[in-house]
Parts: sequence; structure tokens; C-alpha cells
Amino acid sequence: MSVNYLLKDIEVPQGNGFCLSIDNLELNSGKIYTLVGPNGAGKSTLLSTLALLTLPQRGEIFLNGRPVLMKKSRRRQGRRQITLVEQFPYLFDRSVYDNLVFGLGVRGIERTNAAVRIAAALESVGLAGFEQRGARQLSVGEVQRVALARALVLQPAVLLLDEPTSNIDAENLQVFEQLLCSLAAQDVTIVFSTHNTLPPRRLGAELISLRDGKIQRPSGAYTGYGETVTDNE
Amino acid sequence: MDFFAESFGIALTLIRDLDVDMLQIVWVSVYTTTISVLLASMIGIPIGVAVGIGRFFGRRVLITLLNTLMAMPTVVIGLLVYGMLSRQGPLGDWGMLFSPAAIIIGQTVLAIPIVANYTMAAINGADKRIVPTVLTLGGGRRQAFWQLLLEVRFGVMAAVIAGFGRVIAEVGVAMMLGGNIRAYTRTMTTAIALDTSMGEFSFALALGIVLMTVALMVNLLLNLLQHR
Repeated sequence: MSVNYLLKDIEVPQGNGFCLSIDNLELNSGKIYTLVGPNGAGKSTLLSTLALLTLPQRGEIFLNGRPVLMKKSRRRQGRRQITLVEQFPYLFDRSVYDNLVFGLGVRGIERTNAAVRIAAALESVGLAGFEQRGARQLSVGEVQRVALARALVLQPAVLLLDEPTSNIDAENLQVFEQLLCSLAAQDVTIVFSTHNTLPPRRLGAELISLRDGKIQRPSGAYTGYGETVTDNE
Repeated sequence: MDFFAESFGIALTLIRDLDVDMLQIVWVSVYTTTISVLLASMIGIPIGVAVGIGRFFGRRVLITLLNTLMAMPTVVIGLLVYGMLSRQGPLGDWGMLFSPAAIIIGQTVLAIPIVANYTMAAINGADKRIVPTVLTLGGGRRQAFWQLLLEVRFGVMAAVIAGFGRVIAEVGVAMMLGGNIRAYTRTMTTAIALDTSMGEFSFALALGIVLMTVALMVNLLLNLLQHR
């Protein structure tokens, strides 16, 4: 499912004097966007806004040309196409299977089909056979990967990832990057934030550089891992 | 000391022999308490969730009111419900005074603030990421609240058990609204009060032991759930 996502004149005040202000941000299907910026730049707020979890005080969000903010039903419809994986995701205090089946149940996917999709999603994050594990028995890295699988199983049109690589080791990082590329090839729009390192050029990601709640234009070019955001700005 | 030891021995014999009068009293206590707590849970849990999640005008006042009601003496609740159910009261036509139903109404009123407060505390202590997680997985507000309740299920169970513990051990409501009628509205607590005044110390002690055992079991369960 392809999607065109547009944020227009968005203002999201956070109550502590900080305000996320986006004049214009367009995201297209099948592209990977990397959200970079120092601490407090507004990366998580932007992701939460894109996920329609934080509602702007001003402005409008258009999904495939339709405004989504005004109506509750449209926001909910929108959320069914957009899934956010937090930096420290919450897993329901049940089995991994129960966590993955939740979103499918909401969408009315029947159990046999759900089980197949869950197995495939877990395999794609390197956790095949983890269905019956208790969520509270997982390591921090496993929690993050289960949360990613929980998002993937829903086959979202837009996948938002907040610092997804923070708890992933070098070995799994490569698997993760391959996963992102294959998702993009399937027309999924991916936005992921990263704290101070930049993704490798092979991801072919577009850079969205944030500072003090505003998008920096032009966003800096980057060459590879290890280069800090400030080096590029 | 002999008196106490002798009475204690007789009490244990009554329990061992499953004395019919004693069992009748225990049964009245258990069933009135169980129904009261079920009704209180049906009312108190939604109140606790609403106050725990909601941000509405008058929320602080409601929290203060619930806290105050939690400390309300049982005789005052008995008095108020008595006023409602007595012949001159607004619900006098129902003819419910001095019946198990009257006890159930009074004990439900007693347990609602306890269940609501404990539920509210469980909701307030819940992980703040639960609701956004449900929403981003495509769920609606109603599913988010239900999921939240499932995640704090041990806290909610603790709320119900705390209500049960409070109700089964109370005497004021059962005495004033039940009238302590033998084999009808006589509960463990009202029987203990009556039998002690009548010099039936052993019988009262036997009921006391049963009551303490129930209270102990309830508290053990509560402890277990609170450490989950």
C-alpha cells in the first residue's frame, strides 16, 4: 500500500517552552528517512506526531491527500497504516505471541493467518520460535526486536522507528539494515531517528535534520557511520 | 487462663465437628460479602479507571471524596442505608430492612470506595506507554482502556480482595441492616458480638478463629498479588 504523507504548518508545543514547528514535510512511499538531531531537538515529538499520537495545536497532516487531524475516525484509520516503535517499547505482560496478535486482532485477521504472519515477522527480526516466551523474560535487545516484529506483522504503510539501533549489536545491525531496504522495496515508508551517528549510504536514506524543533535546510550530506550530526550541519 | 484454654479447646472442637449453627453463620457471611464485593467491583472498578485516567473538572474533589468515604465508619453507612430502607424511608416499600439484601446493599456501599481507590492507585501506577502502544497498534480508546486494565489486573484483583477483607470483617452494617436474625441475617461478626454478650464465649471464639483464618487468607492473597 503506497502512501503520501504531508505535514503542513505544524506546531506542537510541549509545555516546557519547546515547540516543534514544521512548515512543510513530505514523505513518500518506498523511501527511508533518517531523522537526526541532538538531544531535545524534537525527534521523538516529530515521530509521535507522525504516528498521530501527539496532536498538533496548529496545522494539518495529510495522508494521501486527505486531512486526518479533524476527525477521530480518520486519525484511527491513519494509525492503522502507521506504526511507531518506541526507543524503549512497551510489551504487554503476556507472551510474545499475544503481543504480536494484538494488532492483528484489532484488524480482524483470523487466527490461522495471524499465526503464519507472526512466525514470519519473528523470523525477519531473528527471533523465530519466540512465540511462547513471556514478554518479561526478554532482554532489552529482544524487547526492541519483538516490538519491531509487532509493528512489521501489521504490514504498515509507514513505519516509524525511534532510535531503533540503540540496543542492537553489530551483527544484528546488518540484518536490520537489510530489513529496512527490503521494506522500502515493498513501498513501505520508513522514518527512523538516530541520536548522533548517521546511517550508511547503502541505505539510500534521505536526511531530516532537526534542531530546536525545526527542520534544518538544507540537511547535511553524510558519508557513513561515526560522523556526528553537528559535523554535517 | 484455664477459662481461655478451655474455651479455645471447645472452639476448635466446634470447628472440627463442623457445627451446623456455625456453618450457617459462616455461609451468611460469605455469601453476603461475595455478592457485595461483586456489585462493588462492577461499580468501583469503572469509577477507579475513570478517575485514574480521566482529566476532568472536579477530579480532585472526587478523589478526596473517595478517600473520605474509605474511612467512613460502618455504623454511619448502616445508619444512612437504614434511613433509606426503613418504613418511613424512600425505599421503605421494598421491605428489605433486616434481610440479607439490606446487608448486601450496605456492604456494597462500604466496599465501592475501597475498590475504586485501589483501582485508581493501580491505574496511576501503570506504565504510561500502555495507551500509546495500543493506539499505534491500531486500537481505539476503548481497547486502550481495556488493555490498561488487563495490564494492571493484579492491582485490580488486589482492590477486589481488599474490599472483601474490609466487608467480611465489618460489624456495623450487618448489625444495623440485618438485625442479627438467627439463620437468616446473622453473620460471623454480629454472632461474635451477640454470643460474647450472652456468655457463649467458646462459640464466639470458634467464629473468631474462622474469621481470622479468612482474613489471613485474604491478606496472604493480597500480599501475593501486590508483589506481582
